[in-house]
Amino acid sequence: MSAGPYNYSYIFKYIIIGDMGVGKSCLLHQFTEKKFMADCPHTIGVEFGTRIIEVSGQKIKLQIWDTAGQERFRAVTRSYYRGAAGALMVYDITRRSTYNHLSSWLTDTRNLTNPSTVIFLIGNKCDLDAQRDVTYEEAKQFADENGLMFVEASAKTGENVEEAFLETAKKIYQSIQDGRLDLNAAESGVQHKPSQPGRNTLVNDQQVNKDTCAC
Amino acid sequence: MSVENKGICNADMPVHDTGTGNVLSRRLNKILETRIENDKETLEALKELSTFFTENTLQARRNLRSKIEKRSLVINEDFLSAFRDVKEVLDAIYSDVSEMNNSVQKMISRLQATKTQTHHLIDQTTKLQAESQTLSLQKEVAGAFLRSFQLSPAEQAVLRGSSRECAITDEFFTVLDRVQSIHSNGRMLMQSGHQTAALEIMEQMALYQEAALERLYRWTQSRCRNIESPETSILLSMAMSRLQGRPVLFRYVLDEYRTSRRSVLVTAFIDALTQGGPGGTPKPIEMHGHDPKRYVGDMLAWLHQAIPSEKDNLLILLKGCDKTDVSDQILQTLSHITEGVCHPLKVRVERMLAVDTDATVLYSVTNLVCFYKQVIGQVVPGSQLLTTLEELQELSQHTFLLALQSQVRQQLSECVETPPSDLSPSPGVSQLLNLLRDVLSVGCIAEGRQQDLPQIVSIIVEPLLQAINESATRLPTSDMAVYLLNCLYQMQSTLSLYEFVDELLERLQAQSDAQLDTLTSEQASSLVANLNLGSIYTILQEQGKGALSSVPGMEPTGLKNFLSKLDAFLVMQDVLLLPQICLLLSGTHRSIVQHRAFEVIAAIYRQLYEAVHDPENLYQNPGVLMPRSPDQVLKLLIG
Ligand SMILES: Nc1nc2c(ncn2[C@@H]2O[C@H](COP(=O)(O)OP(=O)(O)OP(=O)(O)O)[C@@H](O)[C@H]2O)c(=O)[nH]1
Ligand SMILES: [Mg+2]
Repeated sequence: MSAGPYNYSYIFKYIIIGDMGVGKSCLLHQFTEKKFMADCPHTIGVEFGTRIIEVSGQKIKLQIWDTAGQERFRAVTRSYYRGAAGALMVYDITRRSTYNHLSSWLTDTRNLTNPSTVIFLIGNKCDLDAQRDVTYEEAKQFADENGLMFVEASAKTGENVEEAFLETAKKIYQSIQDGRLDLNAAESGVQHKPSQPGRNTLVNDQQVNKDTCAC
Repeated sequence: MSVENKGICNADMPVHDTGTGNVLSRRLNKILETRIENDKETLEALKELSTFFTENTLQARRNLRSKIEKRSLVINEDFLSAFRDVKEVLDAIYSDVSEMNNSVQKMISRLQATKTQTHHLIDQTTKLQAESQTLSLQKEVAGAFLRSFQLSPAEQAVLRGSSRECAITDEFFTVLDRVQSIHSNGRMLMQSGHQTAALEIMEQMALYQEAALERLYRWTQSRCRNIESPETSILLSMAMSRLQGRPVLFRYVLDEYRTSRRSVLVTAFIDALTQGGPGGTPKPIEMHGHDPKRYVGDMLAWLHQAIPSEKDNLLILLKGCDKTDVSDQILQTLSHITEGVCHPLKVRVERMLAVDTDATVLYSVTNLVCFYKQVIGQVVPGSQLLTTLEELQELSQHTFLLALQSQVRQQLSECVETPPSDLSPSPGVSQLLNLLRDVLSVGCIAEGRQQDLPQIVSIIVEPLLQAINESATRLPTSDMAVYLLNCLYQMQSTLSLYEFVDELLERLQAQSDAQLDTLTSEQASSLVANLNLGSIYTILQEQGKGALSSVPGMEPTGLKNFLSKLDAFLVMQDVLLLPQICLLLSGTHRSIVQHRAFEVIAAIYRQLYEAVHDPENLYQNPGVLMPRSPDQVLKLLIG
């Protein structure tokens, strides 16, 4: 089957959120192109990137929506949380204000996504340790208190960037395996095999059930 | 017998130069040396002897010799008769063999004859054999030729399919490709001189190909509705790559595909609108029907996010098509696929665009639609969806402007009529400015929207200015000036946050300046009057010949009246300010008016001072009369 034109079995939808300038677009670019964009323009509305990864031997296509952090785009970006399987919430470790806004980002995320959406907190720009304004410990505590996965990363050096995206996918995949994520439903943020942005076919559904029974 | 032979032998031994005694002794020796127990023959002879020599008597010894000879004779006779039998048998054999010999001789001669006859036959056989070898070689070549230039019955069956509905398999494509390669090999065949065969083969392959493609086309057309199914999708990509050489068929399949995707997309869109996600999360989009921004935004974002998947599917379907540039086809197909959602989208957005909706909300919606028009325009340029968005943007913009105008009109009529007694801007002004602020705070998310802003501002500001001016005309001059200045000030401070309103701000500034002038002159006149400076000023202006000190009203006593008032004023300047000045909201305005009015007083003072100190005017002790220099007064007044 892997020889087919779809060399992936699932599509996971992600969104990246956080204040402007925290490095969301750079993280996405680093993840998809393995390059750092030193002077990245502000994102206008939303941008889109994809990459195929592998989790437990399954090829998964990540469909990633990078949102604009600027306030004026909030009306647009709010609509992209809908049906995201993963949300990467980014702050800048050198700017405390971006950290302070996390709770409002988190509220938005919880209000606008599914309970099963995996939220991953990223403290970006960890290459700038000298200018650090938020300690690892307090962010870690914040993450723990809110049940978020957490890592400090750098879109510049690439440190932990891959990990953040992959760990999120693993967690989502786990949810599918556990049957917590209903693939049959529209807008779960996950599609089994490429399909219309809605229903999956019955066959896939049965396959999934079988998988779950076998465990 | 052997004993006897030996005895004879010994007896016949020639005796030469030895004596009889010697012979004897030799014989004796010999006998003695004889090892009877080892001499089998002797033992045998003795054993035989013992069968008939039973009694060792003299008689018997004497008869022994003849008895032995008789026995020997009997034996020889027996032998002779036995041998006769043998001879007879041998004779018979001999005659048989001779007969055989005869027959063989005959056979040989016959064979000889046959051999000469066969020779010819063998020649013939050899020739035939060689011929057969050539033929089988030819057969192999012909077989190989057929194998490479013809389809086997099995292959033909694969191509034809057992029935109309028979599924296409991998094999089908293998055979189809073979047909193609045979066809192109035919050209080579032609070049190497086998024209007739080549043409025939090519014609035949063309027929196969035509029939196969026809079948492939039907199959593809019916299956292209299931692009998601991974099993068929592989085959579909292959099918499309084979069909690309038949533009008409290719287009029909794409037509079918896009029609089916189009309805899939519409269904999914309607589901997202009315059913939402699993267990109701995310909520159906229509749940936000009361919130036009959210509702329209969610619908458009949903569509925006649906397009990449459609594009992906399409790219996969056409990924084998390398003969022509399919990017145009992809665009056209995508734009057709998205056509179905236009109507449901349009109906719903239009429903949100009622004139009585809040103008700010309408402006947000306009902005959203415009933003998505740009975003989607990049993905599916020239599509119906884009046209729909353009129409919606226009409608939304239009509705917004109407709503804004009507909201402005309503608030003007309600609130701007009479200025409050404290001359602060009436609540209507604040409200309209708030409306302006709200609308402008929507923030432009779409590019190139900045150009609308001056229009929006003027829709609010122009009628507002007009209304303010109208209501201000009912007031006394100072009140009017203060009221207008306060309103203008509020407008300026609201508008100064925006970059695109420079021109308007200039106009407002000019109006403010005019009012400041009015107010300054009001204040200055009031000061002049209160300080009894009116006549002094007039006289100074008209100054003719003669000493000023003798002009009535300008004599030192007359001047003292003014100078004492001035002293009091210098200590407590506020007392003589017009009460309206305190009502100015802007500290700057207040100090400008004050400054300028005081400057007028200081200037008159300077003129008076110079006149008093002019000896021609014959004032005595001018330094006592006016001890303060003009600069001191100016400093005290203006600081
Ligand atoms: N040193 C350092 N700079 C970074 C890093 N990531 C991003 N930057 C810089 O931070 C700036 C903002 O990055 P963006 O990726 O554009 O930020 P964003 O979050 O996408 O901003 P918006 O699109 O406006 O929401 C850019 O100038 C980047 O060069 C990082 O890991 N290290
Ligand atoms: Mg960005």
